[in-house]
Amino acid sequence: MINSNYTAQVTPGIQLLSDSQKEEIHSATLELLRRTGVKVLVPEVRDLLKKAGCWMDGELVRIPPHLIDWAIRTAPSRVVLCDRIGNPAMELEGRKGYYGTGSDTPFVIDAYSGKRRKAVLDDVGIVARLVDALEHIDFLMCMGIASDVTAEISDLYHFREMIRNTTKPIIYTAWNRKNLEDIIEMAEIVSGGAESLRRKPFIALYSEPISPLTHANDSCEKLLYLAGKGLPVVYTPGLMIGGTGPVTIAGALVQAIAEQLSGLLITQLIQEGTPVIGAGGILLMDMSKGLISYAAPEFMIATTAISEMYHYYQLPIFSFSGCSDSKSFDQQASAEGALWMIISALGGGNLIHDVGYIESGLTASYQQLVCMNEIAALVKRFMRGVEVNQENIALDVISEVGPGGQYLSHEHTYQNFRRNWIPELFNRSSNEEWKTEGALTLGDVASAKVQQILETHKPQAISKDVSDALDTVIKKAENRVK
Amino acid sequence: MSDTLSTISTLIIEGKFADMISITNAALEEGLSADKILNDGLMPGMDHVGAEFKVGNLFVPDVLYSAKAMQAAMTIIRPLLAETGVETAGKVVLGTVKGDLHDIGKNLVGMMCEGAGFEVIDLGNDVDPEVFVEAVKEHKPTILGMSALLTTTLGAMERTIKILEGAGLRDKVKIMIGGAPVNQDFADQITADGYASNAATASELAKELSK
Repeated sequence: MINSNYTAQVTPGIQLLSDSQKEEIHSATLELLRRTGVKVLVPEVRDLLKKAGCWMDGELVRIPPHLIDWAIRTAPSRVVLCDRIGNPAMELEGRKGYYGTGSDTPFVIDAYSGKRRKAVLDDVGIVARLVDALEHIDFLMCMGIASDVTAEISDLYHFREMIRNTTKPIIYTAWNRKNLEDIIEMAEIVSGGAESLRRKPFIALYSEPISPLTHANDSCEKLLYLAGKGLPVVYTPGLMIGGTGPVTIAGALVQAIAEQLSGLLITQLIQEGTPVIGAGGILLMDMSKGLISYAAPEFMIATTAISEMYHYYQLPIFSFSGCSDSKSFDQQASAEGALWMIISALGGGNLIHDVGYIESGLTASYQQLVCMNEIAALVKRFMRGVEVNQENIALDVISEVGPGGQYLSHEHTYQNFRRNWIPELFNRSSNEEWKTEGALTLGDVASAKVQQILETHKPQAISKDVSDALDTVIKKAENRVK
Repeated sequence: MSDTLSTISTLIIEGKFADMISITNAALEEGLSADKILNDGLMPGMDHVGAEFKVGNLFVPDVLYSAKAMQAAMTIIRPLLAETGVETAGKVVLGTVKGDLHDIGKNLVGMMCEGAGFEVIDLGNDVDPEVFVEAVKEHKPTILGMSALLTTTLGAMERTIKILEGAGLRDKVKIMIGGAPVNQDFADQITADGYASNAATASELAKELSK
């Protein structure tokens, strides 16, 4: 048989923007950077931009379009992050998506008491261990700002705690350049040197421009240091529509992209080929409360649209998922989280973070995290779409079973049923069975899962030498800030 | 325990029904009694499968493969057990009641019961009350199982029980019922001996009722 021009499989996806609309948004972005420009607060970075041909007006930098197009072409279209051991773990490119946690929540919901309280260093370790154990959570961001260590260098403590509790890739934050240098020193110790870390990076910095249109001191300093070393960085704005950005999504998109691409230009001027993960957060400011929403449909639309723009640029994408505005792990948290999980999968972002956030990013919920791991498994099944081939059409099987027969005991069923999703937490029992098992809610089951992981999961440890060397870096930093 | 018996258990657990005839014959040639093969080879295997199914490590198709393996071995040893007068799990007569053509649940119960060592006589679907009664007379089962998916056909269960009573057969057989619209209250109301909400508990119920 010859079967020409046959497409083997289409997996689901969303498209919001037409090609013409993408061109229009890109043009508007270039025009915004040419006409209005961005503020750059560090002279060393301004010098680079000036030398490249930007138009300077004090701290204000207006950028000729060709430079932005150059930066888009020069920055890598793919960034590979490894695990702590050095094995490739995530290929951030195209439409390959990976879920991970969000970072730096001041509060957590306690794993045992269920009460909201200030985050402590142990919580950072707890989230890391959960991520390490959860099959569908691929990377870790430090969820929780430790309130029980020296505040000036809590980022160092976070980093060490994460390293100790997972081998999965880490997206970290740093309070300033000096702390960043210490963190990189720790990462180089773990990786076995600067060259090894550059070749097999298991970490990426999260840093952001300040909306509207400002590259602040700390952001620039961090870019100078990291891009100088050729290490990966997520550089994306967190814009509030109607607050720090236009209230209309199209305008917010243009501004966010302008902020990100001008940052991208800075990184490529510091060192060509610096790995950068782009796109950005375009969050809704709720006008009845004056607070940010992490689960508004506008945020979901904007995230999907900016992902499309970065597919158009062929640049790696930072995206959002599994988060909620709810104050506890309740029906709202699961509903908003689940909706996000499927939308972010369909949208095709690469580094999909904030899984497990509740209270608009102020609180980490372990229950939400394990529940979203379950949803991620379901979503992955959905995203496989329909696999159409002779074996799956199974005409012979249908014919063999015939009218009035049954498939349950057929070999075809036995060989293939495991390819369908089998839930771990979600309940499909009969009412009687459910009652016998204690009539547990999803919240009960999620709590039990959290506790089971915390009590049984042992992450791969770091060696005594590495551990001691990390302690030394922190001791040095303690003396520095004393 | 002999190697052959533990192999039999393993093959049951793995659902290797194609190998069951030869291993069962080999066990008999070794001089193992049918009784021993059943109680120390087949049943421990099925018990393990049942336990693993309950905790979610094995699934319906796995259990059915194990049940097929069990069935294959039983075709050889059932006559031998009968000869020696050893009590087996007994017979189950099954059917979907009059007016109902939905039989996947009933089929599943049948396969699960075979896996538990019962001999299963399946009357099919759309079964008249009179046919159930005739089957009870003819096969003398320990259990009569009736299934319905439609609420409109539930009445046929009660009618069947009434007819059995009329024929003086009600105390000769235990009756269990199942199907989506059925619940324990309904089972009590029509004086059935038991109700199971799914096929796995149905085979357990059958074991319980035949004690």
